[in-house]
Parts: sequence; C-alpha cells; structure tokens
Amino acid sequence: MRFPSREDRMFFYMLLPFAGVVFIVFVLLFEVLIQNSVPVLLREGLKFLTSSAWRPSEVSPDQEFYGILSPLVGTLYSSLIALILALPTSIALAIFINDYTPPQLRDHVTGLVDLMAGLPTVLYGLWGAFVLAPILKTYIMTPLSLYLGFVPVFGCRPITGFTVFTAGTVLSVMILPFMTSMIRESLASIPRTYREAVYSLGATRYEASRMLVSMTKPAVMAATLLGFGRAAGETIAVSMTIGNSFGLPLCMFEPSYTISSLIANQFANAGFYHYMTSALYAAGLFLLATGLLLNSAGVYMLVKWRRTYRR
Amino acid sequence: MSYAVEVENLRVRIGGFEVLRDLTFKVPENTIFTVMGPSGSGKSTLLRVINRLIDLIPEAEVSGRVVVLGRDVFKADPYRLRTRIGMVFQTPNPFPHLSIYENVALGPKLNGLVKSKKELDNLVRWALEKAMLWEEVKDKLDVPPLGLSGGQQQRLCIARALAMRPELLLLDEPTANVDPINARKIEDVLISFRREGGVTIMMVTHSPPQASRVSDYIAFIYMGQLVEVGPADQVFVNPRNKLTERFLRGEVS
Repeated sequence: MRFPSREDRMFFYMLLPFAGVVFIVFVLLFEVLIQNSVPVLLREGLKFLTSSAWRPSEVSPDQEFYGILSPLVGTLYSSLIALILALPTSIALAIFINDYTPPQLRDHVTGLVDLMAGLPTVLYGLWGAFVLAPILKTYIMTPLSLYLGFVPVFGCRPITGFTVFTAGTVLSVMILPFMTSMIRESLASIPRTYREAVYSLGATRYEASRMLVSMTKPAVMAATLLGFGRAAGETIAVSMTIGNSFGLPLCMFEPSYTISSLIANQFANAGFYHYMTSALYAAGLFLLATGLLLNSAGVYMLVKWRRTYRR
Repeated sequence: MSYAVEVENLRVRIGGFEVLRDLTFKVPENTIFTVMGPSGSGKSTLLRVINRLIDLIPEAEVSGRVVVLGRDVFKADPYRLRTRIGMVFQTPNPFPHLSIYENVALGPKLNGLVKSKKELDNLVRWALEKAMLWEEVKDKLDVPPLGLSGGQQQRLCIARALAMRPELLLLDEPTANVDPINARKIEDVLISFRREGGVTIMMVTHSPPQASRVSDYIAFIYMGQLVEVGPADQVFVNPRNKLTERFLRGEVS
C-alpha cells in the first residue's frame, strides 16, 4: 500500500492492531476450542455425537462417558419450533409495519421492535419460566396433548411447564424482532416502482403484499437462517425454560437440553471430572460449527438478495 | 366524439407543494395523447391520478373531477379500475424473480382473465408479439428477465401491460432509460397498437421530437399548469402559447 505522507502511513499502522483484534480473537477462540476438544473426541470418536449418555464418574476417568446427541437434537428441535412460530409472525408483522402503520407511528413501532431485540435475554428467561411456562402448560400443551395426542409430536402430557415447546416459544419471541427487522427492511428496500407495477396490474393489497414478500424470498430465507443461528446459540433463556434433562423426546411437551444450556449448567462441575471439560469444549465446537454454517448461509443469501436490486 | 379521460379542475398537493394546478382537458378515445413538459412539471403525477396509483402516496391531496372510461375515478373501485388501465413506467421494472412468461401472465392471472393454460399461452404470445418482443424471447420464456437489455425489458413491461387487454394505456416516459433504437421500436409498438383501435394511449414525455412522431393530441404542462392542449399538428406547427413555442425550440427545460 502506498501513502502520500508519513502521517498517513503511521496512522495506518496504528489502526492495524485494532483491526486485527477481531481476527485474532476468532482464531484464538477456534484454536482453544479445537485443542481442548481433542481428548474427548479421540477417546469417544463419533459416539460423542451419536450417544445420549452423559456419565460423569468420580471413581475413575475410564468410566466417564459423554455423548451430546440429546442436547444436539434438543437444540435443533427447540430452534425449529421457534422458527415455525416466528417466521409467519415476523412476515405478518413486517407487512403490517410497512403497509398499515401510519408514517408518524412507524418509526416508533420499528424502534420498539429493535428495542425488544436488544433486551437482556435473561429477562426473556424470567418471563418464560414464571409467566409463560404455566400458561402454556395449562392452556396450550395440556389441551393439545389431550385432543391432538395422536400426532406424535403432541403425544405426551406435560409434567411441568418446562419443555421443548416452552423453550421454543420463548426463543420465537426472542428471534421475532430480529427477523421482523430484517424482513421489514428488505420489503422497504424494494424500489417503489415494483410496488406501483403490481398495483397497476389490478392487484389488491393482499395480492401486492404476497408479490412483494415473494420478491424478498432470499431475504426471508436469510432471516430464517440467521434467526435459526440465534435460536441455536441462545443460552440463558433456554436453560431457564427447557427443563434441562437428557433424553431424546419426540414429543415436544417433554423437557430436554440444548448444547448451550448444557455448557451453562455443567461447567461449574466440570473441573471435578477428567474428561468433562473437554466434552464441554467439544460440544461448544459443534455449536460454533452449526452457528457458522447457518450464519454464513444466511449472509450469503442476504448478499445475493442485495445484488438483485442494485442497478 | 367520446372521451377516454376527462379531467376537470384537477389539483394535486403533495406535502404542501402544488404539483398540479387546476388542469382541465379531455382525451379523445382511440388516440395517442401525449403529455409533454419539462421534468418535474407534474406529468407523472397526472398519470398516477388517472389509475389512482396516487393512493400509494398517503400525503397526496387530490381535488377535482377525473372521469376515466366513463367512471369517476375517485368513486370507482380502484382495483377494478386498474384492470382496465395498463401502465408502463419510466424505469423498466419487470419482476426479477419471475420468468419472462410469468411477468406477462401476471395481470391476466391476478384478474382471472383466462380460463385455461392454453388461453393464457395465447394471450402471453399475443402480448409479446404486440410489444415486438416475441421473436427475441420465444426460446427463453422460462428465464428471468434480468438477462434482457434495458430496451427489451421495457418492451416486456409493455407486453405485461397489454396482456390485460387494457382500454387505456398509460406510459410514463417509457423511453427515458432506453437506447435510441429501442426507443424507436417502442414508438412503433405504440403506433401500430393504436392503429388496431380499441385502445387509448396516454404517454408522458419530455422529448418534443418523440411527441411529434407518435401523437394525435398534445398537452403541454409547465410547473403543474396546463399551458396548451390540442391536435398535434396544430401544437407543433402553430403553437398558441409563447411558452410552448420556446419549449419546442428547446429553450425551456
């Protein structure tokens, strides 16, 4: 790089370390994760992913065994429920804010939605555990299991309010503002001329909205993937509502575990056992891998979407 | 003589700014009526009143009477009104996520104009032929329109509007973003379409040469006011207003 003056060069070299911090932190984090994951992965191999047994042992390290299938499935299950609830809601909310909210109110509503996205997640956990869980148990989960129990995913009575379903519902509320923001922005970024074109063809408001949403499909998919990533990574609110128990529930009214809640709940004890710390690191590694995959897929979709309308 | 559009004392204000001031004129049926005027004179807004796309601008205040195809536009159902009016916009805006075929088929589909796939196929072909685009795209109907040139995209938009079999076709500076060859093609499309009858064409342009090539009638609008309106020959050969004359000579913009 060439600089016309000495100050410019100095300034550049001064900025460099700051810019490097992000990169260095990421590499170090990744390095530490991999290094610490090695012992348990070497010992258990693929079984680490395919087993649900979680057996710490004080007697001898040889008796220890850790498998994360249950939390892995629990992570995907609760995130999936969150998405199924949040996707239609966020699309509807985005359309409503864009097309039906009076312009004077729109900024306030948008601000409120963004504020919701930034609330400390532990608040969602508190609300989920003490308010939502009992309500869902009495009014949603129990009736669903009674009347639609023949559907496998509804096929059990909830014993407590802390279930995969409750965690998924809390997660959906948490990713809703984020997804709404993304979808709303992408809808708003469609040049006005397309909106005019749909209406000029005699489309009703419903038809026009459907058309515009289908135009933003890549952005909606990006929002879905990024929302999935967030839901899968969310820790505290899930730990407070999912029940934290190992098992492979098909029914969503049973408690389960997620990788993040597993790490959050077990790390304090991990030091007592030989392999548990390594197992938690390895679990974190897979969480990171999942998150990276979902996020890069989402960002890729988003970039592709932005190119479509750049003229 | 009957009229496709009758405008009486039309005023439009957008955000406190008077975009159109007291316009009164009539557009005879089955003619090409060109609204000419410099940029920012309110021409596009005028078109948007006629098919009520002005509804999309909530802060617009409209007064006066506008009768389009025998209906008072402010009392009519805007959706039904728009199905009788086609519109082509300044920037080519085919839907990028639909195929060429689907773009043209969209209007008929939205409005249930056809009963069978075969009928739709024929209508799409007819519209593309009328827009003089069929030969260029007949082998790639299933492809999105982004690969087409700007001029082809604009003719696709014309086909999209024609596919609804409109009785009135509105064009908002349709050649402003198109190369000269395609611009002439689009003018040919309009002239030949008008010759077949059954449709009134209302076009907005800031180019006097273009207006002179296609128009039967001309209206000249300046700063939201109607300066002059009349048969094209008369306006071009013998303008009544000094301002029109100066605009035609390229002295006003």
